[in-house]
Amino acid sequence: MKVYDGQSDTESQTEPRRIKVGIAEYKITSGEAVLTTSGLGSCLGVAIYDLDAGVAGLVHVMLPSAEEMNDGNAAKFADAGIEVMVEAMEAEGADRSAMEAKVAGGSDMLDFSENGSGIGVRNIETVRETLSEFGIPLAEEDVGGDHGRSVRLEARTGDFVIKSANKESVTL
Amino acid sequence: MKVDIQSLGTFNQLAHEGAEQATAAMSQMTGIAADVEVTKISLVGREDIGEELVGDDFVGVHFGFEGELSGETVLIFDRDGSETIIESLVPGGSEDESMARSSVQEIGNIMMSGFIDGWADYLETTIDHTPPDYIEGTGTEVLPEPPEGSDKQQVFVFKSQIEWTDEAVSFYIYMLPNYQPMAEMMTEHADTENDVIPIDKLEVFNQMTLKGTEKAAENVTMMTGIETEAEVSQINFAKIEDVPKQIGNDVFVGTVVQFTGIPSGYLVVLFDETSAKNVAEALMPTEPDGEEITDQHKAAIEELGNIMTSGFVDGWANVLQTSVEHTPPRLVHDMGRAIMDPLAAQVGQFQEHAFIIDSEMKTEDVEFSASIHALPNENELREALDELLVERADETEADVEEIFYG
Repeated sequence: MKVYDGQSDTESQTEPRRIKVGIAEYKITSGEAVLTTSGLGSCLGVAIYDLDAGVAGLVHVMLPSAEEMNDGNAAKFADAGIEVMVEAMEAEGADRSAMEAKVAGGSDMLDFSENGSGIGVRNIETVRETLSEFGIPLAEEDVGGDHGRSVRLEARTGDFVIKSANKESVTL
Repeated sequence: MKVDIQSLGTFNQLAHEGAEQATAAMSQMTGIAADVEVTKISLVGREDIGEELVGDDFVGVHFGFEGELSGETVLIFDRDGSETIIESLVPGGSEDESMARSSVQEIGNIMMSGFIDGWADYLETTIDHTPPDYIEGTGTEVLPEPPEGSDKQQVFVFKSQIEWTDEAVSFYIYMLPNYQPMAEMMTEHADTENDVIPIDKLEVFNQMTLKGTEKAAENVTMMTGIETEAEVSQINFAKIEDVPKQIGNDVFVGTVVQFTGIPSGYLVVLFDETSAKNVAEALMPTEPDGEEITDQHKAAIEELGNIMTSGFVDGWANVLQTSVEHTPPRLVHDMGRAIMDPLAAQVGQFQEHAFIIDSEMKTEDVEFSASIHALPNENELREALDELLVERADETEADVEEIFYG
């Protein structure tokens, strides 16, 4: 796991540091960084932050539940990914009772499944269930639809900015 | 010779970890943050290696290595990126050419030693490498020349693409093992009871993809009058989460279908926005005003995507002698990665790694390029390969000409 303190090597730099989160990865920061992830289709970007403790994290999950798979990478799954990230944030001094979450993605574009719900929908359901088990309120969400998204989480404020290919960006 | 999915996965992981070590060494020396974006194993025609480099200027280092594995490896930075690296090591160094060269050589040496040592450790063997040579060039020129007579030869390449966190700058590591020892080593590490894929059939499959792409390109030419040629066709193997990263984050227009049969999977046809406009307008009676991609453009792309898909899939079906059906095309106009991500997720419910079959087509007349990406179900691809030319299984060399025209 990587923890970033958001301190840049050069003090003159005023822009907060940008930390990229890849697919099936999570990153947390205890500084002023901006966490970004791009190209969310049916995947979800789950942002969790504790503004009092100044700790924030972003996980890019691909599939609903780790239970269905024998795969060692927790961050690939909505349930296991949230769990490992929340634990890592707590280890950095965040308090679960002060955490809030924002979620984006879970589009049902290119869902060819003829029966049952697609992966995007199941990802969203699993995220809601997991957050509720952890007692973390879901402050806002921008999910579903038929378009992709890229997101950035500003760790200091909890602002979650969502960009799409053919739409204006929105801030949650 | 056979290789199993597990050992392909292991070799891919090995290359990935090597690239991560090399990147960490660079970050430590220069303070520049970078991430390994993608690592993949490709089976590709020797002369087609490095198609992603086209047009850019690179500098870097080249090593030969020998031992249980032999071959060549290169680490290249795009030129602007190398200047930033040199400046962080020796301020003012990028102004002085010999200083710049020796800095690139030094950092390249440190980065790549870790990469090669990682392989040797895993394979429990010694791999010696030559001192680094400084290399520079534009596009694929920077890569080692293919040995003579290797035009039609297919080789395994390990490719890692590393991106800087704050800038759109990339560097690449290519490892080009000599085919024979690499194939032997993969065979040795294969668990022959399980998940095995015969390497020579994988090559035939690659050739067949090229035929499919040629057919698709012919269809484009026929429909638009734009002379279009199939360029590159390769089979890539990567972790499922790396599949969307194979496509850039630019916006693309194209079509997606699900195909069923053996194998089943998804087929994506993508045009960058400029190409989409150009090719669509070739189909329109009058050129529309403005720069926007209109519904008319999209309708034309949908039609084109459909005939390209049919051409491609027919190419497969002919060789596999099965019928491969596909759904009507769905039009997409979105970020490249967001298009691939739901497909990777759907395949990823059943497998940890994926084969991605990529082809490209280009034309010289107008600015136009298109790519086709197939994401087959891994088990079914294996089954299809097993079925392929069973009666020829005793022959060591598969004869592509005979398969296609015989």
